[in-house]
Amino acid sequence: MDYILQILGPMLQGALVTTALFAIVIVLSLPFGFGITMLARCRFRPLAWLARGFIYIIRGTPLLLQLLFIYFGLPLIPGIGQYLVFDRFTAACVGFVLNYAAYFAEIFRGGLLAIDKGQYEAAQVLGLSHPQTFFRVIIPQMLRVALPALSNESVTLVKDTSLLYAVSVPEILHAAKTAVNRDVTIVPFFVAAVIYLVMNTVLTLLFKYIEKKFNFEREM
Amino acid sequence: MAFIEISGLQKSFGKLEVLKDVSFTVEKGDVVAVIGSSGSGKSTMLRCLINLETVGGGSIAIEDRYLVKDGKYPAKKEIKQITSKMGMVFQQFNLFPHLSVRTNLEMPVRLTQKADKKELSAQCEEMLQKVGLLDKIDAYPSQLSGGQKQRVAIARALMLNPDIMLFFLFTSALDPELTGEVLSVMKKLAEEHMTMIVVTHEMAFAREAANKVIFMDGGKILEAGTPDEIFNHPKYPRTAEFLRSTL
Repeated sequence: MDYILQILGPMLQGALVTTALFAIVIVLSLPFGFGITMLARCRFRPLAWLARGFIYIIRGTPLLLQLLFIYFGLPLIPGIGQYLVFDRFTAACVGFVLNYAAYFAEIFRGGLLAIDKGQYEAAQVLGLSHPQTFFRVIIPQMLRVALPALSNESVTLVKDTSLLYAVSVPEILHAAKTAVNRDVTIVPFFVAAVIYLVMNTVLTLLFKYIEKKFNFEREM
Repeated sequence: MAFIEISGLQKSFGKLEVLKDVSFTVEKGDVVAVIGSSGSGKSTMLRCLINLETVGGGSIAIEDRYLVKDGKYPAKKEIKQITSKMGMVFQQFNLFPHLSVRTNLEMPVRLTQKADKKELSAQCEEMLQKVGLLDKIDAYPSQLSGGQKQRVAIARALMLNPDIMLFFLFTSALDPELTGEVLSVMKKLAEEHMTMIVVTHEMAFAREAANKVIFMDGGKILEAGTPDEIFNHPKYPRTAEFLRSTL
């Protein structure tokens, strides 16, 4: 017990880094992902292709490769490389935001596809403008459809933060591994597992609550 | 000029000609039933009237203003002003599922007109009273039956004080018992001299509530007249054949 308390300090500090990354990624990648969805639906073809190409590349390559590329690879590009040197945490943020934005974009796209054409027609006939239709009619219904997938993706994000290990940012797993090597015991791994579980439990409950708020498909 | 004047309307989807030279007029207070088999062009015709489809040629004039003249449309603002005089009830109702019945009725008015909150609320209750659903004001669309949804859709369209109401009344979407409650609301509107154009499979409604019946076949109006003329003395064998098939 004393041992757990002793290693808890550095591990909770790691958890703080994880939480910070999680918050930054969610806050930035949700709107960014939505922007990409909009671009992919854009009537100006080159922009739509750009958005689809971005999604294609990001989803088709491993996140770990992307992180390594941004941290180690970008500075090596001749000419502009010297302007693309990030510190570890920033590089990780950039990588995660790009990656999750691509996934969120696909989730939003699915949400928009689920909305019946009749909703747009009803809004038009009732005299709503395009922005009014979009914000009052389409987005709330899209979010309702997208929430379970967003929840799922967020849980994955919490676990994916352990990839920070690869660029040596001191997060939970990093602290656990250090303690395991130093003290020759597997207890820190269990502590790390519990911390991840607690974080995901809180997150899942939060999403359940939000889903309930958005649930307008009440039965009779 | 008639209240609504449609002449030489044409519309194609790719190579398929859906409307071929459709012309008719509607006077203020008319209740027009448009009948015909599926694929006859009656739905497309109604959708063109409220600008959900773009016509390929012909003219539509509503209250002396051209929504389209010889296949040419005016500025967007003019189109919006003309179509704002019309309300529409869809076959699938198209209520907003994420909003309560009250918000379904109030939101479009709030977003498109200057409205006093109290007056709006009173108007909302009045309309729901009219369609007999005041007790459902706080319900969500998913909690309503098909007939109730259709009546809410009627109330929502009436909130914008239209001069003309367009209906898709394929009551096939409703079970027969519920059809009665919707039809009685429509008869009430007819008694208030609302101008209505109703695309319907409901021959009883066409017979009793309409003062004019249009029979469409193959993208054309084959026959138009009073219910008595169409139902009791059809001129064409095709009309008689269609009427027999709906009995």
